[in-house]
Parts: sequence; C-alpha cells; structure tokens
Amino acid sequence: MKKFVRNSGNKSLSPSEEQIRRQKDFARLHHSYERLHKRGKKPLYRDPKLFLLLFLLGIVLLLILLESEK
Amino acid sequence: MKKEAHSTLSEAEIIDLARSDKKYFGMLYERYFDQIFRFVYMRLGGQEDLAGDLTQQTFIKAMTHMNRYEDRGFSFGSWLYRIAQNEVSMHFRKSKKNQEVPVDEGRIKDLAEEVDCSGQMSIEDQEKLIQFINELEQEQQDLIELRFFQQFSFKEIADIYNITEANAKMRTYRILERIAKKWKEKR
Repeated sequence: MKKFVRNSGNKSLSPSEEQIRRQKDFARLHHSYERLHKRGKKPLYRDPKLFLLLFLLGIVLLLILLESEK
Repeated sequence: MKKEAHSTLSEAEIIDLARSDKKYFGMLYERYFDQIFRFVYMRLGGQEDLAGDLTQQTFIKAMTHMNRYEDRGFSFGSWLYRIAQNEVSMHFRKSKKNQEVPVDEGRIKDLAEEVDCSGQMSIEDQEKLIQFINELEQEQQDLIELRFFQQFSFKEIADIYNITEANAKMRTYRILERIAKKWKEKR
C-alpha cells in the first residue's frame, strides 16, 4: 500500500545523475533476459508433466499399432 | 563507423530491428532509461535499489513483448511508461506494509489551487489535502499523482492510459471536484 506524505525534510525527490548511472546497466538487463528466456527452458526429462504426456501418447500409439496389426 | 550508421536510424527502424535482434534494444534502453528510472524512483518515494529493480523489470517486459508494441500514435516512451506504471502499481498491491511517498509543498499547492482551496495553506491544511488523496481509489490516486506530483501533461497521461486527451482531462477534473467537495464539507 502507498501513502502520500508531505515532504517535510526538503529531501530531493528526484534521483541524482550518480544514482541513475549506478542503476543503468544494459549488460545486466540482457543477461537477465537471456536467463529468463533461453537458459530457463527445462529439458524434456526435467519436466515431469510433459514427459508423462509424451509417454502416454507413445503408449496409445503403440497400442493402436499393435491392434491394427492383429 | 557502425555506430554512426546506428545513430541515423529512426526510432521506428530501431524498434523493428530490436524485434528480431535484442541487441538493438540497447539503443532504446539508452534513450529511455533515465526518464523511466526517474518516474519509478519518484513514484516509490526515493527507494533507489527498488526503483532500479522495477525499471529493469519494465525493460525486460518491454523486450519480451516487443511484438505487441504497435505505433498507433502512441510513442514507444508512452508504452514504457504504461509498463512501468503497472509494475509500480503491482508492487504497491503486493506490499503489505504502508510505503510513504513524499510530496513537495509546491506540488501540494498546485493541487490546492486546482481544487480552489489555496489561499493561506497551513501545514495542517496541506496534510488534510494529502489525506483526501490517500482516501481516493488507487486509479484516482495514480491520475492525481501523474498530473500534479509528476507534472505530466494531459497528452502524456492520455498516452499512458491509452485514452484520449479529453478523457484524461475529464477524469482528472471529476476527481478534483470530488476533492473540492470533501474539502468544503470538512472545513
């Protein structure tokens, strides 16, 4: 929750150039983006739901194949 | 040489390039970081590290959803402000404790003039007016904050909310009328 208050201490409400410089870092942003979107993808064997789904799909296909051979 | 070629690109060209190659997003980051950080920092009442994190989050979201941005008369900057606005609002909603956002006396007086309660404003009067703002709904507070505390134009506010300038004015003046009414009742 946010609560506005009167700035009684005459504190500067805008960031200084130094603070802006300190926070500005495209390399960090790019790294976070890559980590989130590329390296974050789970390999198949580490995603149990997807693994189970594909496994069941394989079983069904196998059963259909065996049935059609009969 | 390559840098010179980049500097002649228009914003629309940079946006197109950034859609396919995220390295070009750096040029947009360079162009808009300062103003978005300043906006977030002021909205958070001067919490530097948190403002840095939410600004980074804003740019990550923009980078991720670059394909959703369409230039329909709203600048890329307005789109970033909209994302930043949502990030800050989400942060306040999630946060359980009250976070104080200081407002300068000059900004309170600007607001007081608009609601016709200026004259000689004592500190108590200023605090009472701030209290009225705190009692508003979140969206109304945001609008007052953008217009009076961050001094955005109606055009800029309209671009952030994806509404017309006339609509932004109408919404703001309705809130001001409400505050003025309360002010008269409680004095």
